[in-house]
Amino acid sequence: MTSDAHNLDYGNLLAASRRLDVSGCSQKVRVALLSDSATQRMVPLLRTLFARQGVDAEIYEGPFDGIELEVYNPNSGLYQFQPQIVVILNSVQALRANFLRSETAPQTFVEETLSRTTRIWDAIHGALPATILQSNFVMPYERFFGNFDLSVPESLYATVGRLNAQVAVATRTRQSVLLNDMEGVASWLGRRVWFEDRFWDSAKYFCALECLPYVANNLVTMSMATLGRATKCVVVDLDNTMWGGVIGDDGLDGIQISAHGEGEAFYRMQLYLRALKQRGIVLAVCSKNEMANALLPFEKHPEMVLRREDFAVFVANWNDKAVNIRQIRETLNIGFDSMVFLDDNPFERNLVRELVPGIQVPELPEDPADYVRAISELNLFETTSFSAEDAKRTDLYRAEAERRKEQAGFASVEEFLQSLEMRITVERFDAFHLPRISQLMQRSNQFNLTTRRLSEIECKALMENTAWLPLYAKLGDRLSDHGLISIVTVEALVGELAIRDWLMSCRVLGRGVEGFLMNRVMEHAHQLGLARVTAEFIPTAKNGMVKDFFHQFGFAKISEGAKGESRWSISTSEYLPWQTFMQSKT
Amino acid sequence: MPPIDKTAVLQGLTGVFREVFDNPTLNLREEMTAADVENWDSLNHIDLIVAVERKFKIKFTTREVTGLKTVGDLAELTATKVSAVP
Repeated sequence: MTSDAHNLDYGNLLAASRRLDVSGCSQKVRVALLSDSATQRMVPLLRTLFARQGVDAEIYEGPFDGIELEVYNPNSGLYQFQPQIVVILNSVQALRANFLRSETAPQTFVEETLSRTTRIWDAIHGALPATILQSNFVMPYERFFGNFDLSVPESLYATVGRLNAQVAVATRTRQSVLLNDMEGVASWLGRRVWFEDRFWDSAKYFCALECLPYVANNLVTMSMATLGRATKCVVVDLDNTMWGGVIGDDGLDGIQISAHGEGEAFYRMQLYLRALKQRGIVLAVCSKNEMANALLPFEKHPEMVLRREDFAVFVANWNDKAVNIRQIRETLNIGFDSMVFLDDNPFERNLVRELVPGIQVPELPEDPADYVRAISELNLFETTSFSAEDAKRTDLYRAEAERRKEQAGFASVEEFLQSLEMRITVERFDAFHLPRISQLMQRSNQFNLTTRRLSEIECKALMENTAWLPLYAKLGDRLSDHGLISIVTVEALVGELAIRDWLMSCRVLGRGVEGFLMNRVMEHAHQLGLARVTAEFIPTAKNGMVKDFFHQFGFAKISEGAKGESRWSISTSEYLPWQTFMQSKT
Repeated sequence: MPPIDKTAVLQGLTGVFREVFDNPTLNLREEMTAADVENWDSLNHIDLIVAVERKFKIKFTTREVTGLKTVGDLAELTATKVSAVP
């Protein structure tokens, strides 16, 4: 659970911060905080909320109102700190004072403010490969023209709105700049509560103390997405979750699902899930039902929004749900911690919480009318990017599930792979693919040899570095186009070619993509006249499946560290090319 | 609301002080000032004020917030405000 009133109580969090124990944290992050207002209290709040996510956060707090002093001074504390994430918090209170005192035309004011902001990003990115979390402005409460404010382009209200729109547009085209929607946080909490002018005047607090934890929580959620945390799949129950009633008892005419009336709660829930699917979240069903009954509404009910084909996996039987969810996980090849399970039944929720570690199981309110709101409020689907691949993800997973079924009918794996008519494209990183490359870098956990989370900007640096060959691979076959699914980067050193990153989407496991790429790496070493190829494996909690990866290609282990990290080497001339079943396509 | 006596207010304030300053054995005396309480700095002062406001469902003005010198002042002002709530 990421949020509820008690969990985000200011006093409780501050008390917790004094006794913070980060010994159980498996991850570290360095976050810098720059603001035009007071942020002292953000530091303990952030550290406490990060620790809840298993992250030990070191926070650097820039001097009060010193954003530009920090970013334009190459020797500033900010740059010495070397943060991975830079948070920039701008307050509307400071903006308001500047605007109301300003002699320049409002349009010029917007342009100047925007250009100041983007120059700050440029300065930071000129010195650091960090992800920037840039806040927008909370809409002010003054309405000098009343409702007519928005009809006057020069008004404060209209100007802040325009500025927010333009900052948002600017972040779209920037690499590694994400918009922190403070206005969204403030309007959800309510601006009547948010603005606390006494403490702006006396201490430069940009919001009421009780709102600060929500700001911090929003930043932690964004940071977790930057660090690779992402929900990939939503598993849903059917009876009383997708429709009202029990299909096995009430029958097709008895269940509630409709665009109006009591069934509308479920109709809205289905619309919500459909939108999630379109945004790249994979849907799956896990229901205690006869399969025929479970399918019936999807096939026959005229008011259903979702259809059978919207789900990548559809499980309906009488097994316990933990067993079924493990099976869904295996079919999709994703981590439990990237799954969300929705079920109206508290017993099932508790069972799954107990037996499936890592999976997120939000409490659902008693009234189905509140389902969508409760889920939405938890902000479970934070992301750092959106690419064309996302939109068709469920279709890809569904095709994969079918492919697995088909596999059973072939005499050998080779014959099956041959039949897929796979086509692979392997290219050096290019600007067009950088967003997807960085996204895959953030998300791949299992098939990932070194788990370096390179940001878009770091990937771009590799792209331009001639000592490196950073490669991406795209795969398609008879049944579907998988898009960009693997990344391999190598660096030419004296006498050796060092493999630095190697990762692949688990969607395409077992097809020999890695063999094709290893052949390519060896060819490259050969062309450069490098006698050896070296590599590294860094174990994590999730990448056990690739611990013998280099061994399988004939590499010899040359050393192993205390944490299981190992170094590998092979003579370029001794490598035996891997047999592959795919055509190269350029 | 009926007038509330200062002793009752002081008792309520003790709980708030203990939480805000993270000191479960802190005992308040009316003549105490910020110098007598460990960590009573300007940040904790705002935390304290907001916690007192929440506890007693009252609101201090900016001048009151900055003008308070002793625990006794705070208790007195709190008692006055609590009693004034209709």
